[in-house]
Amino acid sequence: MSITAARAVPRPAAPATRVRPPLRRPRECAVSGVCAGLAVHLGAPVWAVRALFVVLSVFGVGVLLYAWFWALVPWDAPAGDVDAAEHTHRAERAPTRRAPVAWPLVVAAGVGAVLLLGGGGLPYSVAVVVLVATVLAAMSAGVWAALIDRRDPARGPRHALAVRVAAALVLATVFALMLSLLASGGGVTQFVLTMLPLVGLVIVLSSTLIEKWRELSGERIRRIREEQRSEMAAHLHDSVLQTLALIQNRAGASSEAARLARAQERELRAWLYDGDAPADSDLSTDLRDYAGGLELDYPVRIDVVSAGLSTERASGELAAAAREAMLNAARHAGGDVSVYIEGGATGVDVFIRDRGAGFDLDTVPGDRLGVRESVIGRMRRAGGSATVRSDTGGTEVHLRIVGTGEARGH
Amino acid sequence: MGTDGRDTGIRVVIVDDHSIFRSGLRADLDGTLAVVGEAADVPAAIEVIRATKPDVVLLDVHLPGGDDVDATGGAAVIAGCAGVPTRFLALSVSDAAEDVVRVIRAGARGYITKGSSGAEVSSAVRAVADGDAVFSPRLAGFVLDAFGAVAGETATANDELDRLSAREQEVMRLIARGYAYKEVATELFISIKTVETHVSAVLRKLQLSSRHELTVWASERRLL
Repeated sequence: MSITAARAVPRPAAPATRVRPPLRRPRECAVSGVCAGLAVHLGAPVWAVRALFVVLSVFGVGVLLYAWFWALVPWDAPAGDVDAAEHTHRAERAPTRRAPVAWPLVVAAGVGAVLLLGGGGLPYSVAVVVLVATVLAAMSAGVWAALIDRRDPARGPRHALAVRVAAALVLATVFALMLSLLASGGGVTQFVLTMLPLVGLVIVLSSTLIEKWRELSGERIRRIREEQRSEMAAHLHDSVLQTLALIQNRAGASSEAARLARAQERELRAWLYDGDAPADSDLSTDLRDYAGGLELDYPVRIDVVSAGLSTERASGELAAAAREAMLNAARHAGGDVSVYIEGGATGVDVFIRDRGAGFDLDTVPGDRLGVRESVIGRMRRAGGSATVRSDTGGTEVHLRIVGTGEARGH
Repeated sequence: MGTDGRDTGIRVVIVDDHSIFRSGLRADLDGTLAVVGEAADVPAAIEVIRATKPDVVLLDVHLPGGDDVDATGGAAVIAGCAGVPTRFLALSVSDAAEDVVRVIRAGARGYITKGSSGAEVSSAVRAVADGDAVFSPRLAGFVLDAFGAVAGETATANDELDRLSAREQEVMRLIARGYAYKEVATELFISIKTVETHVSAVLRKLQLSSRHELTVWASERRLL
C-alpha cells in the first residue's frame, strides 16, 4: 500500500527520530479531509495525494481505499478547550467543508432529469443508466444535505432544506415521468424502474427521521448521564457531606480538622452541583473562592452570602478591595467572618465583618498600606466609598460602588 | 429514654438518618437540653414525636421513608405531626434553597447547617423553644432576594405577604451581614423582642407568601 511504502522511504535530511503528526482529518476540509489528513501525516503535498487517489480510482481500488480512510480516520480534536467544546458546542464544532458536495449532485440529477424528459431518442440502455444515475445523484444529494451539511456551521439547516427540496422535486418529476410511461404499458423491469425514483424519494424524505433519531439518542445519552450524576450526587450527599459536616461539628469551628473538612466540603459541593454550569467569574463566586483559600491559610471561618444579581466583575476594583478587607479580617481577627454582597438596582454593596478585637484607624501607622490604601484609597479612586467601623465587638468594612447601568444586570 | 425532661429543661427529639450524627449531636448539645428521643426515618419520627411531645424537634431536611422517593422527608414529618404542640428546627447539610424553603414552608421555625457547632445548635434550639425564628445569614440573604428587597420592593401595608416592610428589610440585611439578634437590636435602637417579632413576621411571610419567585429562586439558585 502507498502508506507503508511512503513510511519505508528513508529521509536522510530529517533526523531518524522525526515524529509524524498523527493521522487525523482536519476539521476544515474540502470534502472529507482524507487527502489533507494523509498529506499532513506523510509530509507530502496535498495535490500529490489527491492525484494518487484519482489514479487509483481508475482501477477501483482508490474508491475503496478512500472510503476506508473516511470511515476509520478520526477527526482532529477541535481547537481550544476540548472538554468544553465537546460538552456544550458539539453542533457548532461540527467539521466544515469547502466543497459544496450537495449542489453538484443536485445539478447532475437535474441534468439527468432533463435528458430523460426531453430525450425520447435515447437508446433504451442509455436511458436506464441515466435514470439510475439521476436517482442516485438526487438521493445522495438529499442524504448528504440532511446528514452532513445540516450540521456544518458554514451551511446549516436552510441550505440542507433547499438541497432536499430540489432533490425531492427532481425525484418526483422523474417518478411522474416513469409513471406515465408505465401507464402506456410495460413489464416487470419497467415497474422496477418506475419504483426506483420513488424509493429515492422515500429515502430523501426519511433522512430527516435519521437526523431526528440522532438528536433523540443524543438527548437520551445526556439524560442518562445527568441521572447518573444526580444519583451519585445524592449518594455522596448522604454519606460524605454528612461526615464532613460531622467532622466540622465535632472538631470546633476554627480547628485544623474543621477547616480541612470545610474546604473538602466546598470542593465536593462545587463539583456535585456546579459541574455543568459555566465557571462564571462574578463577584460572589470570586469572593467565595477567595474565602475558601483564606480558610485554608488562616484559622478563620468565612461565610459568604450574596443577594441580588451581582454582575460586578470579579476583576474590578470593588473585588480587589473586598479581597483585601477579607484578608485583613482573616489575618488580624480570625474566628467567624461574615461577608455579605448585595447587588441592587443602584449599586453594589459589600460588607465584611469580623469579631476581632477591633482597631482604631487613626492609630494605624502611616506606612501600613493595608486598609488605608488597598481598601479606602482604592474604592475612592474607583468612584466608590469605603467605610470602616471598628470597636471592641469587631470590625465592619462597608464597600459601596454606585452602578453605572452597564454593570448592573436586570 | 422515657420522660426525664426536667421542668427547666427543653425536651428535644433528634431526627436524622445517620446514627453517628445523632449521637454526635446528642453529645454536643448543652446541659439545659434533654434529648428525649431519636428517630431515623419518617414513620419512626412521627411515632416518637407523637409519643414524647417534645418542645423542639431537630429535623434533618433529607430523610428516608417519606412519600417522595428522593428523600426529602423533612416536610413529611412536619405534616405527619399536625396537632402536636411542638416546634421544628430544620438541619441541613445541603444548603440547597429548594429543600430548606420547602421544610420552612411546611412549618419549621428556622434552619441551621449541620456544620454548626454544638453551642450554636443549642442556642438555636433555645430560640425556637421560645417561639423565635432562626435565620442564618444565608437564609436572610435568600429572603431579601426572593422578596424583591434587593430590587427595591417594599411593602406598603402591614399585612402584605409578598413583600417585606422597610424595618424587616433592615433586620434581614443586618442578619445577612452576620449580626446576632442582640447586635441588630443595638444597631437599630430597638429591643431584642422587637427584632424577634420582625424575624418571626418574615418567617411567617416566607411560610405563607404565594410569591412565585420563592420557588423560582429556590430552584434557580442551588446555594442559599
